[in-house]
Amino acid sequence: MSIELGHFALVLTLALALVQTVVPFVGARIGSLSLMRVGEPAAITGLALLAAAFAALMLAYVQSDFSVANVWENSHSAKPLLFKITGTWGNHEGSMLLWVLILSFFGALVAAFGRNLPPTLKANVLAVQGLIASAFLLFILLTSNPFARLQPAPIEGRDLNPILQDIGLAIHPPLLYLGYVGFSISFSFAAAALIDGRVDAAWARWVRPWTLAAWAFLTGGIAMGSYWAYYELGWGGFWFWDPVENASFMPWLAGTALLHSAIVMEKRSALKIWTVLLAILTFSLSLLGTFLVRSGVLTSVHAFASDPTRGVFILAILVFFIGGALALFAFRAAALAPGGLFHPISREGALVLNNLLLTTATATVLVGTLYPLVLEAVTGEKISVGAPFFNATFVPLFLPLLAAVPFGPVLAWKRGDLMGAAQRLHFAFAAAVISALLAFFLIDRSSAFAALGIGLGLWLILGAATDLALKSGVGKVEPAAAFSRFRGLPLSVFGTALAHAGLGLTTLGVVSVTTLQTERILTMQPGQTAEIGGYTLRFEGLQPFTGPNYTEDRAHFVLTRADSVRLGEIISSKRLYTARGMPTTEAGIRTIGLSQLYVSIGDSTNDGGLVVHMWWKPLVTLIWIGALVMMAGGGISLFDRRLRVGAPTRRKAALAAASEEAS
Amino acid sequence: MLFWVLAALLTLIASLAVMLPFLRRRGDRSLGVEHDLAVYRDQLAELEQEVGRGLISKADAAEARAEIGRRILRLRGAGKADSGGAGGRSARAIAAAAVLAVPLVSWGLYAFLGSPGMPALPLQARLTIDPSQASLDELVARAEAHLADNPQDARGWEVLAPIYARLGRYGDAAAAYRRTIALTGPSAAREAALGEALVGEAGGIVTAEAEAGFERALEIDAANPRARFFIAMARAQEGNTAEARAMWEEMAAGLPQDSPWKEVAGQAIAGLTGSGGEVPEEPSEADITAAEEMTPEARQEMVEGMVARLDARLREDPADIEAWRRLLRSYVVLGRRDEAGEALERALAAFGADSKEAETLTEYAETLGVPQGE
Repeated sequence: MSIELGHFALVLTLALALVQTVVPFVGARIGSLSLMRVGEPAAITGLALLAAAFAALMLAYVQSDFSVANVWENSHSAKPLLFKITGTWGNHEGSMLLWVLILSFFGALVAAFGRNLPPTLKANVLAVQGLIASAFLLFILLTSNPFARLQPAPIEGRDLNPILQDIGLAIHPPLLYLGYVGFSISFSFAAAALIDGRVDAAWARWVRPWTLAAWAFLTGGIAMGSYWAYYELGWGGFWFWDPVENASFMPWLAGTALLHSAIVMEKRSALKIWTVLLAILTFSLSLLGTFLVRSGVLTSVHAFASDPTRGVFILAILVFFIGGALALFAFRAAALAPGGLFHPISREGALVLNNLLLTTATATVLVGTLYPLVLEAVTGEKISVGAPFFNATFVPLFLPLLAAVPFGPVLAWKRGDLMGAAQRLHFAFAAAVISALLAFFLIDRSSAFAALGIGLGLWLILGAATDLALKSGVGKVEPAAAFSRFRGLPLSVFGTALAHAGLGLTTLGVVSVTTLQTERILTMQPGQTAEIGGYTLRFEGLQPFTGPNYTEDRAHFVLTRADSVRLGEIISSKRLYTARGMPTTEAGIRTIGLSQLYVSIGDSTNDGGLVVHMWWKPLVTLIWIGALVMMAGGGISLFDRRLRVGAPTRRKAALAAASEEAS
Repeated sequence: MLFWVLAALLTLIASLAVMLPFLRRRGDRSLGVEHDLAVYRDQLAELEQEVGRGLISKADAAEARAEIGRRILRLRGAGKADSGGAGGRSARAIAAAAVLAVPLVSWGLYAFLGSPGMPALPLQARLTIDPSQASLDELVARAEAHLADNPQDARGWEVLAPIYARLGRYGDAAAAYRRTIALTGPSAAREAALGEALVGEAGGIVTAEAEAGFERALEIDAANPRARFFIAMARAQEGNTAEARAMWEEMAAGLPQDSPWKEVAGQAIAGLTGSGGEVPEEPSEADITAAEEMTPEARQEMVEGMVARLDARLREDPADIEAWRRLLRSYVVLGRRDEAGEALERALAAFGADSKEAETLTEYAETLGVPQGE
């Protein structure tokens, strides 16, 4: 019965979403406060019903109820409990249900905590959210219903794709969706502002926390996806410029631009039209990502099942929302008054440069992702656009952006002084240049790119530290005073510094791995040793092992340091998931400091040997640590009180507590 | 019944949620302009603090203050009283329509999509169905559930393996035999049965892997009829009919009169004079009847005609990977290995050497032992 109740709750949510779309919108038109208010309880009740539907589906997975077609197709009674639970969203139908659950979660947050929003703006925002939810709920119910039943119920299920049977499935999709779908709020705010014909600094202040939260989640989601692919696929790569990865990277780039332009708009009332457009584009790219991944246009581990009607349906949703929002933009953008003026060399100017480079970079990724698809659709020719294309287009755009990042926070608003900013950064610059030279002469004299990249990464990290030091007045005032000023800095300043430093850490990791990693492929006999990255691996032999729903051959390696200290064992294995008869390779990874030793085994040879592929990946973990630091930066900024607009009655107390600074 | 009560309750809650704003007395007023003012006042306060900390010059601060002031003035100019909560009759009509829409849309759509009478059937419920009522699939599943908990139960695997093979689940059968061998050690019967399961998985072809299994069986018991039969079959599939016939004849001669293998070997020898045992393309009912009445020579001719037609079709339309497999297998069964190699090359050229299909076909050809270019 719980399944059918879940199904009914899902249908009921659609009815509520339709009400949430129409009633507040009409209320805002005719000026009825009561009608406008309907959106709030509708959004919150909708969330409760969807959560119940999701729980019902999850229960069916946990109990292996194969009378639900979706559970039968994607689960197996022998699967460990964790993967039964995560399997709920490890398939097309369930992941779409998670998508709308998160959409509805954000909508309910606006309804519950947006007390300070002007009523018409709030009503329009909830109406647009309701419209998005209605479209996707209709999509789920008509083309991908997770509650479709099977009669009679098969005794055993078809199991989940073994690659997805991993803790990564518990983290990566929910984080990624929190990011993707979080941008729907910025989109709804932009559409609502266009409907209202009013965009002002206050609007930017309300949009910024939503964008910031979505951006932080998306950063985490992409980083988790990258690490998962790195350890699960056994190729040792962290980024493949795969269309599915690009689909999540594009909203991230556009979202980063949005985050920065919203700052300009909030502080200086400039770039209004541009910010609204970016808010629309960012969510449009999220929708495009959903379309690319869910329609079956791309074949990948993410395309669970392709069904042409689904693709057409999502394409229709895509065209409706992107086209509708852009049409609204074309009609109403002229009505938005332009804002304050600024000199090209100023913090605004730096943020405009950031936006230009980021959007151009987004455009190159978009071209690289869509061109092969369009070409195949038009001429039938299959080409693949990979790393060489992106290295030639994306990297040259991104390098100047990275080099410019530390200047942004130290430039003054309105009219800045580039020489002054450069002087303030001289210490960071000198330190970065010296370390680049040291890297060149001491570590690797063959690669100037490695040295430049390491210098660039340090420049970002030290630049962020310099910004903090300057703002707390280090060198100008007494150390004790500087420390108390440091402690008094607003959280968003720390957020900015952390996010920029995180970017530097990721840059360091990427550069170090791509230029300095070493790789060996060899056939090893039991007892044989191999040297890599200054460590010695001894192959001990293969041993069979039986897991809950797989059997595997484990290759044991003993790791010793150059001074022959034993560092323990590395195990890499070849697994066979019995239900689908599908083999996977489990890489053996050992983290030493910030670097990793990565071992992946191949086939056995006839003479009892084993093909072993091993990599020494210096500083590789910095790639993901940097992303975590960026995420933390976003999170800390989010707790800055300035992002929460105090209601008039609470404002005094908030002001007394807040220590403010222009950043 | 309980389901309908709960569904009605959920509908009621949803409808009440829509009605909520109308049930409350409206006391508060719209605050649109006030809110914008709050933001600007915050900005002014921030500015003062920056001036106090010396982060911004006096001149810049004055300019910024002036700009914020201008914005506040602009806001005052645009400030209009929002129409509190009017709307009157039309608003109430819309509200009533919305409240009605909730049950109508939800019950209407659910009636169309749902299966309200269908009970949930979790694994536990399915497993406790009376065994005498259970189908073979269910019994197998129960055995699987038992073996999942007791993977060391060698006897269980040994019983399950031939059932798998009979159900056509050759891959599972092979895995179960392997498991048995790993747990209780090899025997001629087990090794031979493993080989037969592998033959079934390969669609009747004695692959190199299967042959290795039969060889192991013969090492333990040189007289094992199953292993001997399939080794001869392997020779026949390679086109070495003379050797195959000799092996089968020798095997039949050595077997007691009541052995079932004697008859099987006899049939195999009779089949040798024909095509080699396998019909390449699914023939029609009429073809089969015709083939049964044919002389061996005519039958051979018919089979070769089918293969030639398949070959010709693939020259014109090379996109069908299943047809390519059938063609490769047919050539191997007919003993025309060179032609199989040539067909493989054409297939690779058609799909592109780097394509997924090419990889699948190359692997398949390897299991058949088709000679490959280079």
